[in-house]
Amino acid sequence: MADNVTLTIDGARVTVPKGTLIVDAAKRLGNDIPVFCYHPKLQPVGMCRMCLVEVGRVQRDRASGQVIVDENGQPRVVMAPKLETACTTPVEEGMVVIGASGRVKEARDDILEFLLTSHPLDCPVCDKGGECPLQNLTIAHGPGQSRFIFEEKFRLAKQLPLGELIYLDRERCIQCARCIRFQNDIVDDRVLSFYERGRHLEIITCSEPGFDSKFSGNTTDICPVGALTTTDFRFEARPWEMNMAASICPHCPVGCNLTLNTRREARSGGQMVIKRVMPRQNEQVNEIWVCDKGRFGHHYASSSDRLTRPLVRRDGKLLEAAWEEALELAAGQLKAAGAGLAGLAGGRLSNEDLYNFRQVVTGLGGSAALNTRMGGAEQTQQVGVGLGTNFAEMGPGTAILVVASDLEEEAPIWWLRVKQAAERGATLIVANGRPTKTDRAARYVIRYAYGQEVATVLGMLVTGSSEAAEALARAENSVILFGREGLDFAGSTALAQACANLLIATNHYGRPNNGLVGVWPDANTQGAWDMGLPARGQAVLPVGATASWIVAADPVGDGEISAEALRAAGFVVVQELFLTPTAQAADVVLPAASWVEREGTFTNGERRVQRFYPAITMKGRPDFQIAAEIGARAGLSVSSHAAQIMLAIAENVPAYAGLTYQKLTEVVKQWPEVGGRDLYYGGASYTNRQGLGVQVPSAAERGADITAGKLAAPPPPARNGLTLVPVTVLYDRSTTFVRSQVMHPYVPRPYVELNTADAARLDIQDGDTVTVEAAGVRVTLTARVDGRAPEGVALMPADLGPAVPAVAGPATIQKG
Amino acid sequence: MLIDTHREEVDRILAKYPADQKRSAAMPLLYLAQSAYGHITPQAMEEVGGLIGVSSTDVAGLVGFYSLYYDRQAGKRRVQICTDFPCALRGAETFAAALCQKLGVRLGETTPDGEWTVEAVMCLAACDKAPMFQVQDADGIHYHESAGPDQPLTVDQALDVLANYTSAGKGG
Ligand code: SF4
Ligand code: SF4
Ligand code: FES
Ligand code: FES
Repeated sequence: MADNVTLTIDGARVTVPKGTLIVDAAKRLGNDIPVFCYHPKLQPVGMCRMCLVEVGRVQRDRASGQVIVDENGQPRVVMAPKLETACTTPVEEGMVVIGASGRVKEARDDILEFLLTSHPLDCPVCDKGGECPLQNLTIAHGPGQSRFIFEEKFRLAKQLPLGELIYLDRERCIQCARCIRFQNDIVDDRVLSFYERGRHLEIITCSEPGFDSKFSGNTTDICPVGALTTTDFRFEARPWEMNMAASICPHCPVGCNLTLNTRREARSGGQMVIKRVMPRQNEQVNEIWVCDKGRFGHHYASSSDRLTRPLVRRDGKLLEAAWEEALELAAGQLKAAGAGLAGLAGGRLSNEDLYNFRQVVTGLGGSAALNTRMGGAEQTQQVGVGLGTNFAEMGPGTAILVVASDLEEEAPIWWLRVKQAAERGATLIVANGRPTKTDRAARYVIRYAYGQEVATVLGMLVTGSSEAAEALARAENSVILFGREGLDFAGSTALAQACANLLIATNHYGRPNNGLVGVWPDANTQGAWDMGLPARGQAVLPVGATASWIVAADPVGDGEISAEALRAAGFVVVQELFLTPTAQAADVVLPAASWVEREGTFTNGERRVQRFYPAITMKGRPDFQIAAEIGARAGLSVSSHAAQIMLAIAENVPAYAGLTYQKLTEVVKQWPEVGGRDLYYGGASYTNRQGLGVQVPSAAERGADITAGKLAAPPPPARNGLTLVPVTVLYDRSTTFVRSQVMHPYVPRPYVELNTADAARLDIQDGDTVTVEAAGVRVTLTARVDGRAPEGVALMPADLGPAVPAVAGPATIQKG
Repeated sequence: MLIDTHREEVDRILAKYPADQKRSAAMPLLYLAQSAYGHITPQAMEEVGGLIGVSSTDVAGLVGFYSLYYDRQAGKRRVQICTDFPCALRGAETFAAALCQKLGVRLGETTPDGEWTVEAVMCLAACDKAPMFQVQDADGIHYHESAGPDQPLTVDQALDVLANYTSAGKGG
């Protein structure tokens, strides 16, 4: 094939695509050329010179361009006089590369010795020790003895904080710029730079706060030395004393694959504890990255205020009780309620939990529902992205529409993936009522008035209505990611339907890299719908409820129902990790196990079912087991083993047909190779050995008849005065995330963001205390006036404490 | 704020570059900021970044890279001795140490009379004339190089050069 090139590396022949770099071609042969500055996810820069090799090229006659052959009729190969960098040199047909030679070894040894002249080699006290490329390569190439006088080494104060999460040790930095290039090229948060030159060169950040990026932790994985370490893991453990457990991030619908490093330690009373969260490679989901919420948001599992014993209300007080007693009581009351039983579950539960929960609730005659303010899963079930969809493969010919979502705040890794698809040539269209970071990568930005989301998408159905609409219609592949900004349940459902109609009309569904993706509020919202839990929309309890069973949801804390109203609706059973306001209103509280203590699966926004594993000592019991135990006491038989529940799911949920825990653990070799022993190539993220997950087919792919749903464009919203829009921020005060103390400096106090003109009109300055009044909401919080809200719009983040209105609507804001 | 105190210059500099390539104005704007503030303050970096839509961290990267810019207040003139690799091979480090001794300062320090700040810098692209140094003053940049490989600049010659600046009031 003309697009492939065959060459020889250290005597082994390899055929690779044209344009491949020598270093990558060698890697495919299992020949590890040492690198520091090169990283397979970053553009090569050739800065460190560690990867030098001998390169021979086929000779051509200058005049005719013909290959010159030797006496044996073989192409004549002439070795270049100087060594070349394998990380910047593309392969050529017939090329001969030699890495295993004395000359190369000497050059690499010299480079290493040179690097060590400015490096303290303080591996015994360095967090990177044990998984450090420089340490490994020093052992392979370093001189046994230093020719440099220690006093002449470059010395600087250690532990320079770059923001609250990352420490910089400048002496250890080998100036490879991997961290800077990651921030600039992969994330587009230009908050790291080199300062000064030569030996004095150091990494700096000038952002406010320092190292202001939601992806900062990734730099510690790819830094080839211990120059960048996290505050969270600093001096906590050595890599070799930790165990590994595969997991899935529970914080957003991306479903990043994780490896949890755990250890049993005296300090934690002999318990297994999570020491750190690392990315686990899944090129179709998170590649080798995770955001800082995923990396540092795990502490709720080990939070000291976890519920560990059941509680039962006696004389108005919640008192500890034995499991048996609590379960008996709950089962009896829930059974007695029969049709009056209202079940409510949250989207952070696993498929197994949700399935069992629904089985038991409906088995008792009650109704089970999902606690969500976002709809649209029926549409994603119909025309969700096709099997084999992978953002990394999107480029020219693909259109991506992001509507009513601030990707970086709601599903951070999707921002990176969508941005990169746009950089490769995909047409990115962003529609929102205000600017978001996603706009930066967009070809078309559509700005609508809040309330016009559905009308905007329906407008794109009209052929030729806009360049963006044309681009989407004409593209070979189109994907739509829809969110819920400013929308309530009905609004987001309508938006999903409008998006589905657009995809159906333009024939963009049922195939890879085509279809609909929900930017869901929780990690398993999609799974919850798939498990057959409908949403109740705004109402927390159905009319006529006589008992409620609430799992992993906090409607009282979220301001959706008052404790009194909940209690008025009969017996209340709550299954939770913490004593939330809802749990405080309960008659029975059952302590649940957290996701890292048990098995389960989540279905991500791309409808990929992914498995997580127990990592640490269990507190409480898995939600699926509690459901089974209640069921058993009420005369219902459901399994209390995760793998068996999955078999039941596979039998009863058509899209999940054929799924088994074994299937979910299947892996294929991924490129680039990361983890393993060769840390210097890809960094410290883990190889995926525990499963890449399985995407489930949309109804379209299962042969269902797909027709557009009926939908009328809503009338344009009346716009007089200010519109208050509830928005999502990544670092919030949700029940789980708020327990990661390390993140507290980044969790904002409740605020409302105003446009400069509006603020001036209302005589409000940045930082003023203001009172916001809108649909059933009256709160006092801080005003921000920093030019990010469009005129006439006030943005108020949800989940920072005060309840926000369900939907964008008129509000009054006053100073004081 | 530069934009308030030097609006005309700022506008003139910005006008030289196409609107979508404002970032190209970083260097002249930094130069302006340096002359306005005496040195480049963190606030200046932020202002310049704001004017051209570049993060202040990226602006700082330029300030750190070029010996043209200084990030702290110093003497009236700067003696910037190249001690990069080729110059070091030609004795630049010894040269720098000796010159410092004569001036009674250490590298990075300013003479008590406030006339001279002595600094070691990276390659100034005159490696064939090593050792060499440049003087930066209000007039701009002045190179002082060795005449050739067999005639290296001596510390005495350098002192003469410096004396010339102060006595002639050159650039003062
Ligand atoms: S801090 Fe690490 S990643 Fe960044 S330049 Fe230094 S060695 Fe490279
Ligand atoms: S992007 Fe989402 S799934 Fe991935 S680590 Fe961040 S919060 Fe977790
Ligand atoms: S120069 Fe090739 S890896 Fe750094
Ligand atoms: S090394 Fe001194 S001028 Fe180049």
